[in-house]
Amino acid sequence: MTQKNVQAAALPLRSGFGLPLLLIAALGLLGLSVLLAGQTAPAVAWPWLVGVVALLLVGAVGIRQSAQGETPLARILPAAATLILAILAAEAVLRAYAVPTGLIPTPSKVAQSLWAARNVLLLDAYYTFVLEALLGFVVGTLAGLGLALLAVRFRMLERGVLPYAALLSSVPIVALAPVIIKAAGLGWPSKTIIVAITVLFPVVINAVRGLQSAQPMHLDLMHSYAASPAQTFREVRWPSALPFIFTALRVSSTLALINAIVAEFFGTEGHGLGFRIQIEVGRFGLDIVWAAIVVASVIGISFYLLISALERYVLRRN
Amino acid sequence: MTAPRSPSDTPIVSVRDLSMIFPTPGGQTVALQDANLQIMPGEFISLIGPSGCGKTTLLRLMADLIQPTGGELLVNGGTPRKARENRAYGYVFQAPALMEWRNVLNNVKLPLDVMNTPKAQRDSRAREMLKLVGLEKFERSYPWQLSGGMQQRVSIARALAFDPAMLFMDEPFGALDEITRENLNLELLRLWRETGKTVVFVTHSISEAVFLSTRVVVMTARPGKIEGIVDIGLPHPRSDDSREDPRFFEYATQIRELLKKGHS
Amino acid sequence: MTTAPTPTTLPRAARRPSNLFPMLGVALAALVLYWPLMLWANSGQAARSLASGADLGCKTALACATQLRNPVIPAPGQFASGFTSLSVPPLAPTSAPYNALVTGGETLLGLALASVLGLVLATLLVRSRSFERATLPWLVASQTVPIVALAPMLAVLLGQYGVQGFLPKAIIAAYIAFFPIAIGMAQGLRSPDPLQLDLMRTYRASPAQVFGLLQVPASLPYLFTSLKVAATAALVGSIVAEISTISFSGLGKMLAENSRASDTVALWVIMIYGAALGIVLVALIGGLERLVTRWRPPA
Ligand SMILES: Nc1ncnc2c1ncn2[C@@H]1O[C@H](COP(=O)(O)OP(=O)(O)OP(=O)(O)O)[C@@H](O)[C@H]1O
Ligand SMILES: [Mg+2]
Repeated sequence: MTQKNVQAAALPLRSGFGLPLLLIAALGLLGLSVLLAGQTAPAVAWPWLVGVVALLLVGAVGIRQSAQGETPLARILPAAATLILAILAAEAVLRAYAVPTGLIPTPSKVAQSLWAARNVLLLDAYYTFVLEALLGFVVGTLAGLGLALLAVRFRMLERGVLPYAALLSSVPIVALAPVIIKAAGLGWPSKTIIVAITVLFPVVINAVRGLQSAQPMHLDLMHSYAASPAQTFREVRWPSALPFIFTALRVSSTLALINAIVAEFFGTEGHGLGFRIQIEVGRFGLDIVWAAIVVASVIGISFYLLISALERYVLRRN
Repeated sequence: MTAPRSPSDTPIVSVRDLSMIFPTPGGQTVALQDANLQIMPGEFISLIGPSGCGKTTLLRLMADLIQPTGGELLVNGGTPRKARENRAYGYVFQAPALMEWRNVLNNVKLPLDVMNTPKAQRDSRAREMLKLVGLEKFERSYPWQLSGGMQQRVSIARALAFDPAMLFMDEPFGALDEITRENLNLELLRLWRETGKTVVFVTHSISEAVFLSTRVVVMTARPGKIEGIVDIGLPHPRSDDSREDPRFFEYATQIRELLKKGHS
Repeated sequence: MTTAPTPTTLPRAARRPSNLFPMLGVALAALVLYWPLMLWANSGQAARSLASGADLGCKTALACATQLRNPVIPAPGQFASGFTSLSVPPLAPTSAPYNALVTGGETLLGLALASVLGLVLATLLVRSRSFERATLPWLVASQTVPIVALAPMLAVLLGQYGVQGFLPKAIIAAYIAFFPIAIGMAQGLRSPDPLQLDLMRTYRASPAQVFGLLQVPASLPYLFTSLKVAATAALVGSIVAEISTISFSGLGKMLAENSRASDTVALWVIMIYGAALGIVLVALIGGLERLVTRWRPPA
């Protein structure tokens, strides 16, 4: 802490230089890309690369400067600048070396394709996220909670089932997917089932752990009040289980989408982001692949943030 | 007979108008205000006072773990930083702070590992220290297998392992039962007499402070201040009989009065 | 001196009742349920085959349920013959054990690569606040992104640049595994108690000593926790990579082939091998963990 302050004071530039440096780097990279858009492909690429690296170094100093201090800007700007500079640099380098779109598409090409194919991708996202990931997530969570309640109620069940749940959570879903798709058909429900199964294990394990995390002293207290089992559950067991359950939900929220996409690699009826990625990789339409990944990422992050927000809201109220 | 003192009369720790103010969300906490204290080489000083009066803060200032916001502090004839860099003191924290992955012997060896003591000496030196705190049978145990008091004794052995000139001890015996505590008190006094180390010792126990110290520094809270300093004239070497000495009770009463005065 | 209690008074973890019997009970229940479930799952397909006039060598749908060429759930006999034909001899290029070893090897190599990369990244994260602020949000976000969706593309890309054979799969496995490892390690490197850091400061320990003697050992439990998560993810990565590249061995290649041929019995057998591989990998890491962190109390 104190050492860091000393460091910051010793830097030759004040942190006020961060923003101008970042602007120079970003505009410079943008300029390189614009210059490269005019010609077909430069004869010698390395001077452009040197330019990009130099501007990135300027940007790195800018990021370092802007990361000093505890202001909200100092927390957000470095991350935002990193993403923007990375995208701009990729654009310039890919253009300088005239890398074919079939190999690595430029970010601008990806953006164009994303817009052009928006209807297809949105329908894909509807299948993958709403029908498969979200539905599977809900089904798996409810089944997991039910199983956890049974396991806590009947000790024998807990000791019999929980070790298997722990064991099965280290099974790769790609091994399950082909069999389940063969059994339940190529339509979206087979993927929903796969997602539900993969969500089930973390929910069961965490919910049981949570329901048992109630402090013995609190349970004794309820006992001394002659509370009914239902009251004890509502007042003590359930509130102490909630943090554990939400941890599982947060982890599962990301697993659900990822697993829906991977499951689609093993057969669909022609819809879904995973299907789209697989089919377009095969025909070297990597701009669409990247566009699909962008869509999936935005959905994945939003879903995760939503669950986290729900967690904060519910845990604050309890 | 007085405590063994080194020939020089320059203080080993010199605290002048020392202040420590912590910035806190709701304003500032004055942890220490205008403290003045001279500690001579070879003294055994106890700091006593209510919780939150700045005892730990004063010790951490001397150890260069935090920097004062005002006043002057000299340790071992130089800045606290220089004293730390010369490895002039061993620090026993309020909690054992053992490394969970090292067994008892290796925990005591930690400072020797850091300071690149010749390898051949490390084991024997650490075993010697463990014997001193009565844990030689546990050298292969891991921290989680020890009781809180045993862990604290390991941390004392660790602080002694590299034979520093000064010992800063922050409530080292707080977690111990009365009998073990009295035994360790005697052991610490013997060590102090034999080695001539300067000891700064934080405690909440009036009788422990009187029994151990050449002087007791009484502190009061909010803001943290030195209320008074009591010279303990009990003869050395001390033994269990010292506790029966009528002066023992006089000193204890004197300290209690000072503490009460600060409380009102 | 104080009378030391003898070492026999050391606290020991209380033994919990064994889970063996309840687990056996659940296994038995699953076995009992398997038979009617299998008949029910297969009888629909059997009825359709009979109705279309196929000669299955049996009369009723229920009787045919155990004899389908590509059953939804294989009958015990089919399982047995499927297992033997795919497992004997175990090291033939077409056998499941051999291919599981290949996939397991790729995954382990990937995990090793990922650990090195993760350690480097975690060190940077802990050392530099600017680096942390610039990259940590994206590292966390990447956990919520279907990174494995990149695997097919990465496989094509690596193939274009001449990276072939074992390596591209290991690279993809590493690529998927190194995020959780980096984040877990960074958490671990930050885990030492402030007092432990103060202690090192009183010894005037060098930054390298603080790192090697305090931060790295303190981070080991975190490393193993994230390695277990990463292992399953890396396994998925290498299998997907095998499917998306021209592979000559590996469980992924077997899955792809039998999926095309609709050989469901083989798919079931491969699934069991894949599940076992996942469990074995995690168990291996657990074993290594116990070996390396012997100082921890038994769970
Ligand atoms: N790092 C810090 N930041 C803010 N306030 C602090 C910090 N360290 C200590 N304080 C405050 O300074 C005061 C003195 O704390 P200190 O730890 O020195 O007390 P103490 O005398 O050692 O008490 P105890 O006997 O309980 O250990 C307290 O009010 C405490 O809240
Ligand atoms: Mg204190």
